[in-house]
Amino acid sequence: MKTLLKILALVAVLASNSLVADESSRVDFKNDLVPLFTKSGCNAGACHGAAIGRGGFKLSLYGGNPEADFEAIVRMVNGRRVNLSKPDDSLIVLKPGGYLKHGGRMVFDTDSESERLLIDWISQGAGNESRRNLTSVEITPKKHVAKSLGEPVALRAVAHYSDGASRDVTRWTIFKAEDSSAVEVDSESAMSKVLRRGRHIVVARYLNKVVPIEMVVPLTDSKVNLAAESRNNFIDEEVLKSLALLGLPPAPNVDDTTFLRRISLDLTGRLPSASRVVRFLADKTPNKRTVLTDELLSSDEFTEYWTLQLAKLLRIRPQGKDGTAAHVYHTWLSDQVRDDVSYKQLARTMIMANGDTHKNGPANFYRTVTNPREQAEFMSELFMGSRLRCANCHNHPLDRWTQDDYHGLAAIFAKIERGRIVSEKPSGQTIHPRTLEPAIQRIPGEQFLAEDATDGRKQLADWLTDSSNPYFAKAIVNRLWKRMMGRGLVEPVDDFRDTNPATHPALLDQLAEDFEANDYSLRHTLRLIASSTTYARSANATEQNKDDDRFYSHAARRPLEPEVLADAISDALGVAGKYGNEPEGTRAVMLVNPTTPSLALDILGRCGRAESCESSVGAIGGLPQKLHLFNGALLNARIAAEGSRLNQLHSSSKQPMEIVNAFYLAALNRHPSEQEQEHWKGKLAILKSTDDQRAFLEDFVWGLMTCNEFVTNH
Amino acid sequence: MNKIQRCDGVTRRDLLRVGGLAALGLGLGDFFRLQNATAAGSSPQPKAKSCILIWLDGGPSHLETFDPKPEAPREVRGPLETIWTNVDGIRISECLEQTAKVMDKMAIIRSMTSPLGEHNFGTHYLLTGYKPSPALEYPTFGATLAHMREQSGVLPPHIAVPKFDGSVSGNGYLPGTTQPFSVGGNPERRDFKVRDLDFYKGLDLTRLDRRRQIVNAFDDFSRAKDASRSSQSDPNLERAYNLIASPSAKGAFKLSEEPNSVRDRYGRNGGSGIGQSCLLARRLVERGVPFVTVNSAGWDTHQNIIQLKQRYETDKNAHLPSLDRALGALIGDLSDRGMLDETLVVVMGEFGRTPRINSAGGRDHWPNVFSVALAGGGVRGGQVIGGSDALGEYPKENPVTPSDLAATIYTLLGIDPAHELHTSDGRPVRVAPDGARVISELFA
Repeated sequence: MKTLLKILALVAVLASNSLVADESSRVDFKNDLVPLFTKSGCNAGACHGAAIGRGGFKLSLYGGNPEADFEAIVRMVNGRRVNLSKPDDSLIVLKPGGYLKHGGRMVFDTDSESERLLIDWISQGAGNESRRNLTSVEITPKKHVAKSLGEPVALRAVAHYSDGASRDVTRWTIFKAEDSSAVEVDSESAMSKVLRRGRHIVVARYLNKVVPIEMVVPLTDSKVNLAAESRNNFIDEEVLKSLALLGLPPAPNVDDTTFLRRISLDLTGRLPSASRVVRFLADKTPNKRTVLTDELLSSDEFTEYWTLQLAKLLRIRPQGKDGTAAHVYHTWLSDQVRDDVSYKQLARTMIMANGDTHKNGPANFYRTVTNPREQAEFMSELFMGSRLRCANCHNHPLDRWTQDDYHGLAAIFAKIERGRIVSEKPSGQTIHPRTLEPAIQRIPGEQFLAEDATDGRKQLADWLTDSSNPYFAKAIVNRLWKRMMGRGLVEPVDDFRDTNPATHPALLDQLAEDFEANDYSLRHTLRLIASSTTYARSANATEQNKDDDRFYSHAARRPLEPEVLADAISDALGVAGKYGNEPEGTRAVMLVNPTTPSLALDILGRCGRAESCESSVGAIGGLPQKLHLFNGALLNARIAAEGSRLNQLHSSSKQPMEIVNAFYLAALNRHPSEQEQEHWKGKLAILKSTDDQRAFLEDFVWGLMTCNEFVTNH
Repeated sequence: MNKIQRCDGVTRRDLLRVGGLAALGLGLGDFFRLQNATAAGSSPQPKAKSCILIWLDGGPSHLETFDPKPEAPREVRGPLETIWTNVDGIRISECLEQTAKVMDKMAIIRSMTSPLGEHNFGTHYLLTGYKPSPALEYPTFGATLAHMREQSGVLPPHIAVPKFDGSVSGNGYLPGTTQPFSVGGNPERRDFKVRDLDFYKGLDLTRLDRRRQIVNAFDDFSRAKDASRSSQSDPNLERAYNLIASPSAKGAFKLSEEPNSVRDRYGRNGGSGIGQSCLLARRLVERGVPFVTVNSAGWDTHQNIIQLKQRYETDKNAHLPSLDRALGALIGDLSDRGMLDETLVVVMGEFGRTPRINSAGGRDHWPNVFSVALAGGGVRGGQVIGGSDALGEYPKENPVTPSDLAATIYTLLGIDPAHELHTSDGRPVRVAPDGARVISELFA
């Protein structure tokens, strides 16, 4: 009896022990195995994560759908993938373990942790129950500034669960440097080191969470003292902070003529006139730059040029033979720019627009692309700076967007009848490719709408333009910043996502807040940028900061846009360009139809606007273009044409050096330096006859139209 | 540019964004890398000085060209017959009569395989040896060659006839000067000439020289103040000048200098100008141009595959006969001139076509297996490398990836696939991907 009791007691102890062991060693499919599949690459696009799977076995891409993965492993092919009686003999163990022929070869070592986890899970019954959900992943460090190259940095990931538990999941987290030649991360130990100076991003991924890590090694070892730098507004504060961090000395402020040329090109797409240059130089008032900025912002030229910028963004173009609608749209847009209508209002008007596209300009928003899915992509790139496209086919692996978001947004747009007349179409639907059912309308990343909702567009517009929306204001201020500074704080400007962080996140936040606080006024933000010291830095780099292309230690030299360069050539030569059948005096920046016949745009480049113009070519480049400049008509037919600037200067009997000076003013918008004067004087002095001098001046003007200083904004 | 001639309208920009998936680089790494990790092996003494790439844009059907399946069921076999070549045991499409006569000088790889069945992705993969990535655009063969070879003449080192495929930039991360120079126009036309090579009226070389010097003077003034690269002169200005200044270089483009018999031999019509384009390519490599791409559009045959043979009853200028004339003539001509040994000829497109004829009588995209033909430049002719299975669906043996092909082409051209190039910000990148296998059985 005593013995029996002893045995019973022992059994009880054993049982309770095994119960405890059970709890902690219970393998949770969703939380333990799916990360293993991801870390090992089983569910990558190149393997079983492909849309059609691989070798007859399909897993959801990067484990986006654990339920389906469980089905695939436990139930499909009659459950042959798991062997509950002999866990070691399960296909799911044998194949990646290299015991059986496997297209992906051996993935796990024998007796590896991965193999053990798989076998344990099968031994425990290959279940799918889970007591908790992953709520967040905490990555440390989120940002690290290393003192030197090669300094080891340990990366760590901790998962937090719905039941309050947390655990270290570093082992199952993937750390991937965006540029593997800049940062090295050991996939086993998660030790990292920076190999190249600068700021780099490492993306950490665990299950469906992606987190960027910023790793910095200053660009120079020297300490820069920026205390004395002037700070005109928060832009300067933020930019100087990062320059200090990176050890980059900023360039000095530009002189008046350079500032005048830069801001005229940025705000009006035009070179300043000779008389304006002279007047600006003579002006002695201390706030003349501010006055100039305000003058330019309120000019007709500003409206004309910024209408072009927005028209490119909205991809305004004739649809087939229908040129009327594009003109109506363009005119409407031009009115909005002229009146400084709030960008929020502009977006709302477009999203809510109905009616005849020949009468109501913004309704053309729904004629820009051809179907609801494209509309969803277009709208999100335009107003959210986000690319939803990946989520058409699968949940976005680098971003938060799901297929439900994509098709839910498309479902909202499906309720719009497109065509010359845009109207509501309550019965409109779009099919969700996963469910093969009509997709349910959804605000992306937020919530589904009621199934019978007929006000999807309004709900979308309300959400999008609400001040709490994380995308709307940032997307546009980032574009404005890029136009003024040459590079977006987020780049590409239509690829906002957590894993593509801004170079200056706090600056982007403040720009967006300030934009909202100022009634979403484009002019306000442009003025703010223009009044910063950062905007007015010289483009001339020094040995210390010449490698900087994103921290604004010096201004960027930006190729003039093709339209602006075409107009600048016309203005400098004094000969108008020819644009199809448009009336004389039409400027390239005024064209509504981006495919208007034009030699200048054929040579200098154009964006047809059928696609986004973000990546379209700049104005400099290409052997064919240079061949044309030498031998073609764009310059040669116009330099000395009747009525041209050169021709007129000759007619009014100007001396050669007066002509040189006049062209400096007209094209480079400054006076030549003494050294430059001497140079051209010397060249002209050796030419005896007037004809020779005239020929030289033609060549001089040609060279001026081709040189770097003319064809860039700097 | 070939948007209309391809089935979809996906642009290069889309390519870059969709490729975002690859950014994580998760997974088994390159599936094939593991299989082929057996390193390069012996490399031969390179013979090829130049390369002519005949790019069949849109994806040519392997079953209607170099890998016919006469024994397969009709829906796989397709409507075309097959013929024997001058090499025992090698059959090719009935439309490739002239090619069949030079098969002893050609090698066919019948086990090309790639996972990328979309035009832009496939094009990038085949032309660069790298799968597309959003982080970096890779250079095509021609750009790499242009970059690594010391430039001898004034002709651009990388020329496309008549123009380059629009879905890749060509130079990738290499400098813009390695971008292919598109000659433009249509080499078939009597009045064909390259635009803007002749002086504008009233100008001469002395004036152009002075203009160039004036630009340099302006740029020198700017550069004196700026330590960054961005203020430098555009090197294309100098290149354009040198080309204009050389009558002999410009003469390379004068097809009218060729006797009529030669022009006829290459074929004057059809295949989007492929005959005269190949002739121009020969003239260019003859003058030392290292890389010429002949671009033949219109191989995206989703419908009526029979139209590759003829579009109407008496048609002699459909795509296949045009390709055949051009290819047969090019290989024969290069051989007659003693240039074949030092000129590598490659014929390929971005993928093959579905083994089963579709309901429209065409074939859709099929990257799983397809063929590439090579000749000259150190390639041992008269052989078939690898093979596809009975239905032309998958490689049966010796699978060759576009990365392997790239490593092989580079090796033939005397460039070590492991050689490191540098991106503009100094990042080192191998010429061909790590793990790519050189197909040494191809070498003579």
